[in-house]
Amino acid sequence: MTRTTRWGALGALLAGAAALAVLAVGTSGGFAAPTAKKKVIIGWAFDSSGNMAPFDNPALAAARIRIKQINAEKNGTVTFEIKTCDTQQNDGAKAKACALSLLDAGANIIFTTCDVDYATPVVTEAINRGKLAIAPCIGTDQMGPKRFGAKGKLAFSFGNVAQDEGSAMAQYAWSRGWKTANTATNTLLVYFKNVVQAFEKRFKQLGGKIVSRESYATGQSNVGTAVTHLNSSKAAVNVTSTAFGELPAFVNGLRSLHNNTPILNSWAGDGTYWTTNNPKVTNYYFVTYASVFGDDPDKAVRKMIADLKKAGAQVGTGGFLGGVDAIDGVYIAIKRAHGSLNGTALANQLVKFKHVPVLGSRISFSPTQHTVFGRQYRVLKIQDNKAKVVGKVTAKVVPKLP
Amino acid sequence: MRRYVEGAVQLLGPVALVVVVGILSTTVSSANRIYFLNALVSVAMVVAIYVFVGNSGVLSFGQISFVAVGAFAAGVMTVPLDSKKGVLTELFPLLRDHSIGNIPSLLLAAGIGGLFALVVGLPLMRLSGLAAGIATFALLEITHNILQQWTKIGPGATTLSLVPQTTGAWQATLGALVAIAGAFAYQRSRLGRQLRASREDPAAAQGIGVDVHRQRLWAFTFSGALAGFAGALSVHLLGSITTDQVYLELTFLTLAMLVFGGLTSLWGAVVGALAISGLDSFLGQAEQGVHIGFKLDLPTGSRLVFLAAIMALVLILRPSGLTGGGEFRIPGLRRAGPREEAPAPPA
Repeated sequence: MTRTTRWGALGALLAGAAALAVLAVGTSGGFAAPTAKKKVIIGWAFDSSGNMAPFDNPALAAARIRIKQINAEKNGTVTFEIKTCDTQQNDGAKAKACALSLLDAGANIIFTTCDVDYATPVVTEAINRGKLAIAPCIGTDQMGPKRFGAKGKLAFSFGNVAQDEGSAMAQYAWSRGWKTANTATNTLLVYFKNVVQAFEKRFKQLGGKIVSRESYATGQSNVGTAVTHLNSSKAAVNVTSTAFGELPAFVNGLRSLHNNTPILNSWAGDGTYWTTNNPKVTNYYFVTYASVFGDDPDKAVRKMIADLKKAGAQVGTGGFLGGVDAIDGVYIAIKRAHGSLNGTALANQLVKFKHVPVLGSRISFSPTQHTVFGRQYRVLKIQDNKAKVVGKVTAKVVPKLP
Repeated sequence: MRRYVEGAVQLLGPVALVVVVGILSTTVSSANRIYFLNALVSVAMVVAIYVFVGNSGVLSFGQISFVAVGAFAAGVMTVPLDSKKGVLTELFPLLRDHSIGNIPSLLLAAGIGGLFALVVGLPLMRLSGLAAGIATFALLEITHNILQQWTKIGPGATTLSLVPQTTGAWQATLGALVAIAGAFAYQRSRLGRQLRASREDPAAAQGIGVDVHRQRLWAFTFSGALAGFAGALSVHLLGSITTDQVYLELTFLTLAMLVFGGLTSLWGAVVGALAISGLDSFLGQAEQGVHIGFKLDLPTGSRLVFLAAIMALVLILRPSGLTGGGEFRIPGLRRAGPREEAPAPPA
């Protein structure tokens, strides 16, 4: 080895050691002075810039506003503080380190990102330490014992469970007099699949008929085939649950074939960011938490959206409501647990939630269902690229799926 | 005698470095410990890649396939039975109804990684140059898609969770040392020397009776075993894994670590893995604000920009990597006779 090589290697080692040493001593957080009210520290591990950023950022921004309101309550018994950690595009090791740093900083409750697969490292660390793990908008039944075993009793999501959402979509379709439906399943996510499965089950319970079933997957370039098959199958409504590039491909594909049959999508299809000018989106329906287009039926929701926009948050879909409702839900659970912050005590209260009022609606959990059901959905229609509330629907049944 | 002393010194550098990092990991907070342990697991992975790529000179994009297979094998087989029956319901009964402990899972991962590498290596090791690179990339794609879609052998597209987190400071350090010791023993063995000879001049090596195909196959298999072992260490560190975590990003990151440190030496593999891991972790923390006498708060997303820029700069200034592709030596303790030049990196 030459002299310069040795110095190069030594330099690299010193740089690496310095980086690790700085890491070791330079990242500790501090605590604010105690107040008369009991302080609840929420450790929020979120993705600020990756795939989940469009969901995590609005939920976090809305939660911050809600916390300000709660902390300002004169008769309140607790004050909330949010400590955040960016999981940097949900890298596994960084997400785990985030969870541990938040727990080390004294977090009483851990909040996590809106996808259960990305959330797993964070949830695992939280429940292993006996802390409540909350997701503002995970939409499957996986956030709970089904995914995390016995310790999963401490994991909850304030998103709508896909079974509930699919059921609500079926009820809405039936109420519109749509007696037959084609379904198209995007097989990428459990959420997508469960929404369509629940729709089919509930729609048939109501007396509807599924005429044709198609499937496609994000990234597989096969949505066009599904569209072609659906176009040749006559039904009153085409139902899917999808997002990403497949959403405009699905809708525009059908419209380009001069098929103007109504399309019904889940919360995945919320927003107008994906619409195109040629063809314009028409006769397209979706269910969501809240309308972000200025016409939500609930005045308090409209005010929250205005506050969010004033705070500079981008509110693209109604999913922000999960952040507010999660804070409300946790607050109610703490009060019902007489101020306890113990994970098990709080979880025992959450599973008893039945039609508990939160911003915009009422929500429920059960011992086996740790993701929200029973929320009242807003049904929006996009016509000529403009979205408008056209109805409300609450699922009466949460179908059981295999 | 001098040869053995020199060998011991070459091994001493990487071993000492890993032990120091392992000891340091016990002195920091639990959050920061993850970064130290992750760096040690990265050492095991990069050393596994070095065993084949460094010794043969054949670039492979497929070694992370063996990390993936090892990680999922160890993970699936160590999820507790009561949880597995509720969460991984679609597995083959053999996988669903049996569970093994930590050490057996590490051995299983190494065995499966090695066996998989042996089977796919039989046709692949006949290739070289660009064809080998593309073929090993195809292997990565195939492995990724099978693991992502086949729910009879794993969780499919969802996260494998509930894996016991047994990779602490001891296991990570010992795991990295096992990989280093294995790689060192191999490169100094007759097999290793024959393969290195074929790296320098395949035609000349064949002329003196070296079966290049067979030597590459042995190295590929051993590399697969070490990579599977490293995958098991990783899944037992994180407690969960997805197929995307052992795919493109990890492939390019680990190859970058090897090239950054020095492609043709074990010392380079270890230095590269630790230097890039440390830098990556520090820059990640700096994005969230870190105190280094003053508060350094980098913009979100700048981590990868800085990391890539530093790597590019170093490689422009030192194309053969930080170590120059040579093994660790103590200044003044040099073998008599003509000095051995560091071999040129593969084209």
